[in-house]
Amino acid sequence: MNNAAISPGRWPLAVPLTLAFMVFFAAPLLMLAVTSMYEDDGLTRFGGATWAKFLADRFYWKVTLDTLKLGVMTVCATLLIGYPLAVVYMQSNERWRRLMLFIIIMPVLLSVVVRTFAWIVILGNEGVINQAVMALGLSPTPLRLLQTELGLILSLTQIEMPMMLLPLISVMARMDRNLIDASVALGASRWRTLFKVVLPLSIPGLVAGCTLVFASSTTAFISQSIIGGNRLVYLPLVIWQQSLVVYNWPLAAVASIVLLASVMLCVVLIAALGRRGARYLHV
Amino acid sequence: MKHDPVRRQLLAGAASLGALAMLPRIAHAKGSVVGAVYPGSWEEAYRSIVAPALQKTHGVTLEMQPLYAVDQIAKARAARGNPLFDTFLLDPGPRVTAIEAGLFEKFDPSRLSNASKLQPGMADEYGVTVAAQFVGIAYNPKKFDKPPADWADLFAEPYVSRLGLTGFQTTFGTVSILEMSKAFGAKGIDVEPFFAELKKVLPKIAVIGAPASMPSLFQQGQCDIMYANTQTVGTLKARGVDIEFVRPASGVITFFTTMHIAKGAEQVDNAYQYIDTVLSAPVQTELMKGPYFMAPVASDVTLDNTLPLKSLSEMSSMVQHDWAQINPQRAAWIERFNREVAR
Repeated sequence: MNNAAISPGRWPLAVPLTLAFMVFFAAPLLMLAVTSMYEDDGLTRFGGATWAKFLADRFYWKVTLDTLKLGVMTVCATLLIGYPLAVVYMQSNERWRRLMLFIIIMPVLLSVVVRTFAWIVILGNEGVINQAVMALGLSPTPLRLLQTELGLILSLTQIEMPMMLLPLISVMARMDRNLIDASVALGASRWRTLFKVVLPLSIPGLVAGCTLVFASSTTAFISQSIIGGNRLVYLPLVIWQQSLVVYNWPLAAVASIVLLASVMLCVVLIAALGRRGARYLHV
Repeated sequence: MKHDPVRRQLLAGAASLGALAMLPRIAHAKGSVVGAVYPGSWEEAYRSIVAPALQKTHGVTLEMQPLYAVDQIAKARAARGNPLFDTFLLDPGPRVTAIEAGLFEKFDPSRLSNASKLQPGMADEYGVTVAAQFVGIAYNPKKFDKPPADWADLFAEPYVSRLGLTGFQTTFGTVSILEMSKAFGAKGIDVEPFFAELKKVLPKIAVIGAPASMPSLFQQGQCDIMYANTQTVGTLKARGVDIEFVRPASGVITFFTTMHIAKGAEQVDNAYQYIDTVLSAPVQTELMKGPYFMAPVASDVTLDNTLPLKSLSEMSSMVQHDWAQINPQRAAWIERFNREVAR
């Protein structure tokens, strides 16, 4: 790829996008920051009281940590199931790859609302999982899956899976097969080849997948509130309640910035871990 | 620079697309009204019943903006006098918020030919009532030996371990909790007795969920008792769900859905014709039937026997709440509810 700087005559081409970015992204973000600096919901008194209220409250810290924990758990679950699938994809021939890609993309074509409500049917007391558990005699009563963190992570794993798999398989499909063959020819076992050759080479895809799944699951308001219910309080619920039900825009803005900043911090951490991992694995 | 014919065609195409985008506003000027309508069954009902009636009677086209009450207020506040729609459709809480924020044009009930058919107080300088909602207890008759009698029963066995509870974020949730609190000894608008009882039974409650998910959770057997309006009960029953509406001993709660003209609305005359159409007897009668089950407010409508009243005048004896008192406390209640129920 040509990484040379854009020639001077072409920079005007970037103007429309830059302008759109300024108007539709940077300006609203600035407005969000300004709104968070008001102390009352009528937006009349300027000051840091809303921030102080949020940061001094242990409940909001717990909500923030729970939100990030949900993201980490979903990333782990999608990774655990998604990575082996990506390895299988890499080893498959073109026909199987096309079929697998179709199966991976299919859920994306359905609205997330539909997928979420489908999970109510699957996880419910009379749902598929509980019917199977009871028919096999594993439990005399239905397991409580809906309105629990476990149920939420289960459904988010399926809902977010394409976000993990698509970057992962696009990186792995481009991987040079000769490197794997060379590793095997040099006497490395299959596992050693997987950890020393395949894994390091797939790190860009892993980082992209983890980032997408983390950002998407921490902000998945619909799934969180429908599957998780109101006993699991996450930041998107707080933002929705404060902005749309009680019109306390400053508090909603503070919660939004906290969500944005903490998710960004984690995304940077994931990228840093990816770089370190690549170095470590190459040694 | 050499002009590429393909690029020229593309530019021309883009320009004509841009011109097309302006067309709806032209159509708008000829005889339409943009009405905010709740998404889901309200939107469907208004599309299939109100829109054709308005077109037929007044030649006005109804364009709908599917928005919940809270979203309408948020959008109108953000638009600052240049609203995205001509009429609001609101529940009492958001109605009071909108009045305080000055989001309505002054309303003149005398411009409606159907205003005289409404109960006293249903039309004023802010807007007009277009539908009533009746809130009580909904339960699955196959899961309990006898129906619950009053609000306090929801926190007692056998009901509490099958209860689906929602918080203060909706109108029906807020008024139901206020009535439960009264059943536990509250005087007036006080939610402390409710929270004190909630603490005792919290681990037993089957579901504490998002309001929008409650009908699905009931249908899936996650909970067998909840507070609900007659509309939800009617809709679920029509789908074959085992559900019955119970009038609590302390009385059925009623609140009104109202329409208002947005400040700065472009099509005020059409907006009055639209509202008048909604209040006309044929439209109110159709909206009352399944699958919509919207309780009418016009006195010349013959009431369906699924509704918990024989005559509209009974509404004045039903339980009603003062939202001017509720609104200032609601933010604190919502926050408190989050803290009390969070795991």
